[in-house]
Amino acid sequence: MSTTTRTTGGAIGASLDRIDGPRKVTGTAPYAYEHRVDNPLYLFPLRSEIVRGQVTGIDASAAEALPGVVVVVTHENAPQLADTGDRELAILQSGEVAFRNQYVGAVLAETFEAARHAAGLVEVSYAEEPHEAELREDGDLYTPEQLNAGFPTDTEEGDVEEAFSSAAVTLDGRYTTPMEHNNPMEPHTTVAVWKAGDLTLYESTQGAHPVQRTVAKIFGIDRNRARVVAPYVGGGFGSKGLPHANTILAALAAQMVEGRPVKFAVTRQQMFTGVGYRTPTIQKIRLGADSEGRLTAVTHDVIEQTSKIKEFAEQTAAVTRSMYATDNRRTTHRLAALDVPVPSWMRAPGEAPGMFALESAMDEMAEKCGLDPIEFRIRNEPEIDAETGLPYSSRNLVACLREGAERFGWRDRTPAPRSHQEGRWLVGNGVASATYPVFRLPGSRATIRYEGDDKYAVEFGAADVGTGAWTALTQISADAIGVGVDNIELRIGDTAFPFASVAGGSSGITAWGSAIFEAARVFRERHGDNPSEGDEVQARTPNNPETENYAMHAFGAFFVEARVDVDTCEVRVPRMTGVFAAGKIINAKTARSQFMGGMTMGLSMALHEESLVDGRFGHVINQDFAEYHIPTNADIGEMDISWIDEDDPYVNPMGSKGIGEIGIVGSAAAVANAVYNATGIRVRDLPITPDKLIQ
Amino acid sequence: MQFLQPHSWREALEARAAHPGARPIFGGTDVMVDLNFGRKRPETVIDLTRVPEIREWNREDGLLRIGAGVTYTRAITELGNLLPGLAMASRTVGSPQIRNRGTIGGNLGSASPAGDALPPLYASHAVIEVASTRGTRRIPVGQFIIGPKRNVLEPDELIIAFIMPEAEGPQQYAKIGTRNAMVIAVCSFGLALHPESRSVGACIGSAGPTPIQPRDAENFIEDVIEEHDLWESRAEIPASALDRFGVLASEAAMPIDDVRGSADYRRHAVGVLARRTLTWAWNEHRGVAG
Repeated sequence: MSTTTRTTGGAIGASLDRIDGPRKVTGTAPYAYEHRVDNPLYLFPLRSEIVRGQVTGIDASAAEALPGVVVVVTHENAPQLADTGDRELAILQSGEVAFRNQYVGAVLAETFEAARHAAGLVEVSYAEEPHEAELREDGDLYTPEQLNAGFPTDTEEGDVEEAFSSAAVTLDGRYTTPMEHNNPMEPHTTVAVWKAGDLTLYESTQGAHPVQRTVAKIFGIDRNRARVVAPYVGGGFGSKGLPHANTILAALAAQMVEGRPVKFAVTRQQMFTGVGYRTPTIQKIRLGADSEGRLTAVTHDVIEQTSKIKEFAEQTAAVTRSMYATDNRRTTHRLAALDVPVPSWMRAPGEAPGMFALESAMDEMAEKCGLDPIEFRIRNEPEIDAETGLPYSSRNLVACLREGAERFGWRDRTPAPRSHQEGRWLVGNGVASATYPVFRLPGSRATIRYEGDDKYAVEFGAADVGTGAWTALTQISADAIGVGVDNIELRIGDTAFPFASVAGGSSGITAWGSAIFEAARVFRERHGDNPSEGDEVQARTPNNPETENYAMHAFGAFFVEARVDVDTCEVRVPRMTGVFAAGKIINAKTARSQFMGGMTMGLSMALHEESLVDGRFGHVINQDFAEYHIPTNADIGEMDISWIDEDDPYVNPMGSKGIGEIGIVGSAAAVANAVYNATGIRVRDLPITPDKLIQ
Repeated sequence: MQFLQPHSWREALEARAAHPGARPIFGGTDVMVDLNFGRKRPETVIDLTRVPEIREWNREDGLLRIGAGVTYTRAITELGNLLPGLAMASRTVGSPQIRNRGTIGGNLGSASPAGDALPPLYASHAVIEVASTRGTRRIPVGQFIIGPKRNVLEPDELIIAFIMPEAEGPQQYAKIGTRNAMVIAVCSFGLALHPESRSVGACIGSAGPTPIQPRDAENFIEDVIEEHDLWESRAEIPASALDRFGVLASEAAMPIDDVRGSADYRRHAVGVLARRTLTWAWNEHRGVAG
């Protein structure tokens, strides 16, 4: 019998230290590559040296003769996959090459060094065909049936052309964002082992169960014969949200050496092919406003790329459908299908590039209307969500803008561009809004079991990708069950536990936390306040009927001070303010890190990140951290991060909205707007490098 | 791949003579990147980290003779007062870990036009000492580096040291990168005032196939200083002359467009850095701040 006194909550919202922190700093938290396995083999991939065509011959004799080499896997000897419908994942099933650096084989050897050495000795010959690997506005474009996350491809309300012709003020802007690569610190890593038809994967993933379901289908085995283990993950930023070909390659190769674990860690350079990336975008935005600065027409037309072998259609203009009020609006998406790797999720797919364009355009339009950019946004604040026609469960964008203006000292800004210089530095301030939808993925189930001694086990397969889920979920469990955090034994990151949805779309806490609350409710219903050891329930994330009644989004506002060297045009960002309205914050400490990480990544998008493709050879040429820049500590100044107390009773039992992505949405525009205020130069093509600011 | 680890300079030269295609390695901050990326696959690598002779520096005939194996960190901590320009340049190299490993000799061996340590060597007319079992020769740095990643080192030679005078006046180094640290230069500029020889040394980095000494700019500003007797009077250099110095430096640059920056931007920025470093150095010569 339990003698625990049920507490009245209070764990949610506390600044609890990461419970996995000691394990991480002492090196006892195993990442995928570090799980102890017996007698492993090491995999080094063979990658295509052409962009498009056929493998015509493979000479692996020199590689196979090398001591330690066990097998060279190619399409000539690889096992058949049961399901080849997903052409990104159906590797080594034919000699077809669909993009540069695509996997055409692998070497398995007793050591990593032998595998890598041997891979260099394999001679592959090809029949090359013409290719197209660069996004061009005037290339062949098509209309996808729908966008990522199920958003409609195009929307139209009212009569935009009529509204433009009668608008007092109009703006016509073209904005571009480059190809970007997610680049989590831990590369994509798999340890795969087959035993008697059962597959075990130690995997660096954002979702153990989604990987399990994918590999079960592809290898034609029953779901419960595939186990995926991922207790600790070194970041993903979306690139580990969906399984990629590296996972299939490891599992496929492991089939050929039944019983022996195969270890495959993608190298940093290899991460620039095949594990997802953000599509480059070409975005045209037109805004029309009346003489009072109210938007009368908005259009947002997007061109972006996908791969010929699998469609990924980023929902870049989706954010424009609801951000501001207008009666006349059109959004469109067109795709170029190219001989390139498949684009995928990268932190806030759609919102991040789309809000760069929209919030840059809003800044330009505010100036044209003679309004302060904050006032301009407030004037165009909608009453309801235009996309669904529903009221918002809570929408505190205006509060974020006002609070941020106060904290940042917006009133001291000189509105005229290039009007403030300190020494050799041109100084400017910029603002931009942020938003991100509350996604609620179905199907997660949580088990709660009373294990005696005041301990409650809470189990489900969710992955903590470094965000702090271990800690936040412990806090949620404590309040849901009504005990202290020390009474919770959380077990996650393994398909041995009940199904959990992917850690993507900032949806984890909503989905998993709702399941925990439901399980706790059922547990008390069945077992009361004094359960017996072994009492257990399992419950599913319930449907939320309020999603029929309310549109649910998080909001935020960013303020940036930019300094631009008047002669060399180097840009520095000494301070950034972010204010968020994201419902209840589960853990103040890890949340702050999440927001800061998002803002840092937004600054990185604004000033640094750009994957440069050489169209002739079809690959990213700056494929390492020396040339693909992300900010260093010296590039990040003061980060002022706060949130408003938002009580949203509709979103989920915690009142939380998801915080993983909103920090990057709009923050790049805030930097660009600050650079404009500093210099009078509007850079519409990211990243903002010094050469774009030379007049 | 054969990995040789000589323990003396003699052994190193013999190993090099026996394996003419061998790749010398010290800190590995360039060589290992090349190996890792599969750009180079030498049959033999000669590790020079166990050779004591090249890790030393000393004074010789009134000049500093600095071993090729002196790291950037040591250039900052041990040579900062003697060679302030080289120390400033060394501070901009990579991260602390890279500065602990990488050497100035490595910069000379790689001969990249973006090598941060190279402009200060040009600005103070450093001489490179190379050796083989056949003997030793000394080559002015401007003749040592002859193209992008090309130097005149013979297949059996190793760089043992470089020789340059202790600073006799203010020195400056400025670098532009697309972020604030751990960045390969978009362009850079080294400048040294030599009040005793009444000369100005300058060098453009990362805006041409090799580091470039802008001789017209150097000659021009030396003439202006002489004409107005500024070495002694320590008066300001006229603004128009500073501008002209920048323009001449900019004209000497031979930049290309690449992933780090456009040729136009580099030409512009070289002019800015030239004027800026001369202004800073001259202000120091005059004894005024900033």
